[in-house]
Amino acid sequence: MRLERRDRFHELEPLLGKVLHPARYLDHEWGAVEEQDGPFQVCMIYADTYEVGQPNLGIAILYNSLNAAEGISCERAYLPWTDMSALMRERGVPLLSLESSSPVASFDIVGFTLAHEMVATNIIETLDLAGIAVRAADRDEDDPIIIAGGPSAWNCEPLVPMFDAVLLGDGEEEIVDVARCVRDARDEGASREEILLRLSRIESIYVPSLYDIVIDDESTRWGYAVPREGTGAPEIVYKRCIPSLADTEPVAQRMVPYMGIVQDRFAIEVLRGCARGCRFCQAGMTYRPVRERPAQQVIEAVGEGLAMTGYDECSLSSLSTTDHSQCAEILTALNKKARESGVRVSIPSQRLDSFGVDMASAVSGARRGGLTFAPEAGTQRLRDVINKNVTEDDLYRAARNAFEHGWRRMKLYYMMGLPTETDEDIVAITDTARRVLEIGREICGRSRKGKNGVSVTISVAVFVPKCYTPFQWVGQLERDEVRRRQQLLLTSNKDRDIHISYHDSDVSVIEGALSKMGRAGFEVVLGAWQRGCRFDAWSSEFDYESWTEAGKAAGYDLEEVATEAFDLDAHLPWDHTSPGVSKGFLKREWRRAVAGVTTPDCTMTSCTGCGVCPTLGVDNQIAGDRHVG
Amino acid sequence: MSGKPPIGRPDLNRLRVMFRKDGRLAYLGHLEVINTIGRSIRRAQLPFSVGNGFAQRMRIQFSQALPVGAASRAEYVDIYLTERIDADEALRRFAEASPSAMAPVDAAYVQSRMPALEAWLTRSRWQVRLLGTGEGFTASRLDAVLDALREVGSIDFMRGDKPRTIGLDTTLVSWDAADGVAEGPFSTIDLRLETRSSNLGALRPAVLLEAAFKREELEGCLLDSLRVERVGQWHEDEDGTLIDPMAFDLRV
Repeated sequence: MRLERRDRFHELEPLLGKVLHPARYLDHEWGAVEEQDGPFQVCMIYADTYEVGQPNLGIAILYNSLNAAEGISCERAYLPWTDMSALMRERGVPLLSLESSSPVASFDIVGFTLAHEMVATNIIETLDLAGIAVRAADRDEDDPIIIAGGPSAWNCEPLVPMFDAVLLGDGEEEIVDVARCVRDARDEGASREEILLRLSRIESIYVPSLYDIVIDDESTRWGYAVPREGTGAPEIVYKRCIPSLADTEPVAQRMVPYMGIVQDRFAIEVLRGCARGCRFCQAGMTYRPVRERPAQQVIEAVGEGLAMTGYDECSLSSLSTTDHSQCAEILTALNKKARESGVRVSIPSQRLDSFGVDMASAVSGARRGGLTFAPEAGTQRLRDVINKNVTEDDLYRAARNAFEHGWRRMKLYYMMGLPTETDEDIVAITDTARRVLEIGREICGRSRKGKNGVSVTISVAVFVPKCYTPFQWVGQLERDEVRRRQQLLLTSNKDRDIHISYHDSDVSVIEGALSKMGRAGFEVVLGAWQRGCRFDAWSSEFDYESWTEAGKAAGYDLEEVATEAFDLDAHLPWDHTSPGVSKGFLKREWRRAVAGVTTPDCTMTSCTGCGVCPTLGVDNQIAGDRHVG
Repeated sequence: MSGKPPIGRPDLNRLRVMFRKDGRLAYLGHLEVINTIGRSIRRAQLPFSVGNGFAQRMRIQFSQALPVGAASRAEYVDIYLTERIDADEALRRFAEASPSAMAPVDAAYVQSRMPALEAWLTRSRWQVRLLGTGEGFTASRLDAVLDALREVGSIDFMRGDKPRTIGLDTTLVSWDAADGVAEGPFSTIDLRLETRSSNLGALRPAVLLEAAFKREELEGCLLDSLRVERVGQWHEDEDGTLIDPMAFDLRV
């Protein structure tokens, strides 16, 4: 039942003095859109705490697009921490939006960002706290239309029983199309069923209730989705792709939070997509093609954004910022401005070569904290398997360059459990770290007890196979084997200046299972929530036992689900929601991976045949000339 | 923010700004206030000075931290400017760039050779509304309990998971309690409280009142919530005179 739209902050206010970090619930931030006249109302939700969700650039982009559209208003909501949600339930206060403090259940559309797999139980918790039926099938005619989208939408099947529609790909235009479609349909008095049919006619909108799940000899145990006869829903829904980033609003993040948030700085998206072709990387496949924002637009927008927000730091955000063909030009111009005003410029990751270090050196001015590189695998053989087109020499040259530029701490990211990985690949991780440390000591001098400050930190994630990558068919490494290899890594290190950290293998099992499951997996997610699971991405809250119990109750061994390999010719649970990359390309890339053959970056050489450009009618948009590493 | 005032930098201009903090923003913590004011200064494009330290921070100094949930009519910040712009113009720009619930209300240049605000402003006046239930939830009973607490001389309390003690002989200056108008199911007491801080600590109203309601004289009374507002801050001179931080004889 749709709740009445009215300001209910007075019900929340008495609770603020009783909870941690009340600033999470205040709204009224600088730059928030206070006038929410609608009359059509959308609420965008990041189903985690305010400080985690607020920096999300995707929501900021959608918020601006919707608020700029005539007759449409957009507000935000986040999931209250457990102390607040307990008090809200006790006092009968439903989840409220931030801007108008209206019940989320009073909105016309409620949208969720699927930022990662581990947000699953938080979406149920959000709907429940809002007083909205968790299953789409149980909703009333006038209930809000619940939509979702984002980086983790490519296998949304385990969550789709909650969603009326899923938006695939670039959202800035399609979210407005969806809002207008629902508004017009509501104005005409259309039924909920009719609204969903109309939504399915919009490019890149997947309406799960119009698809049946078929399990046959060609499928995995999860089956595949087939449009229900007579609905006219497309067999495959392809993502929306804006042809040019230059045509989008560059200053997306206009809001300035009061509390410290996880990325507390002005961020600008300098490019979208990455064509390096790392075979484990889902974003590298699903955000293609590469579209760069021209340097002049970036420089002007940073000036405008910093003046508008008052931030003293800006981040040039993307999947691979130092690949931007005008990166040096942008950084030179920004650094000139920054020196005059005490502003810091940062880039999220460095390319593993000297150019990357030069760029890191250019951005950080006098600061020389730690520098992060991601070799991802310990041996050249395995780096070729994953198509990480960097060599040992690239890493050592970059490390030498970095130590010479004044850095003392190096952080190296790796993955464990990659296809074809052996013990030799694991031990090689510490060998590489040792060599990097030696280079540091050579340049910065040797001293006992690390007084020269040189150290190397190795951070090792567990590889989780993701859909729409060349590794989508492989099974995840078993939990016990992950632990054995983690121990092997630890015991292979004898140097106190090399620090090793690794991910919890239990969390990876659940992430792996959620990445593999089909629609039937929703029963597992629901069961986990019913057993108290929420905030699963927070190590303090994650409860493996409850998840595995929920799996058992639904008839699944979640570790077996995560580690199951799929047949290369199987009809996969996500084949009907496509980012445009062809299955033929992914299979070819898998075969090349096994053979240890690398594939170049199409923005630096020629087309590698991934299929995205011809399928979606788009092209790479490179502003200048790209540097080959 | 830089810790000590940049003494020996006569080229810098010390602009003192009085601001309020109310409405929803009463729930901001001190660090959140510092960040918000810093960003407002940048948005206002005031010619702020930047410290020489590693972190290159803006040179600003605040008066003592307000407890989370407490509003205030009189908070202060000193901003060190590289250029002396008209104080009224600075105030106008600052106000335009600030959230309305944290609006600056006065600004003036003050002598640069004065101690930092946090240590210098030693006296606070608070207006507190207590909401609670119970037969003994009255101003006269509270009055008696505060008297008894002062006799004891100190309060033990927890800050987070750490035990703390605060002496009342110097920090609790005076109070005045009166019964207020009932609010829904709650009786109310309006308390005006004068406190003094030193390097041994500052007395927070909530700490005092929580200790009061733990005493047996108030057994059976439930303190549901507090509305705390700081209504003034002063420097207390050696002879007990209270000096207004915006006083004309401090201005330059």
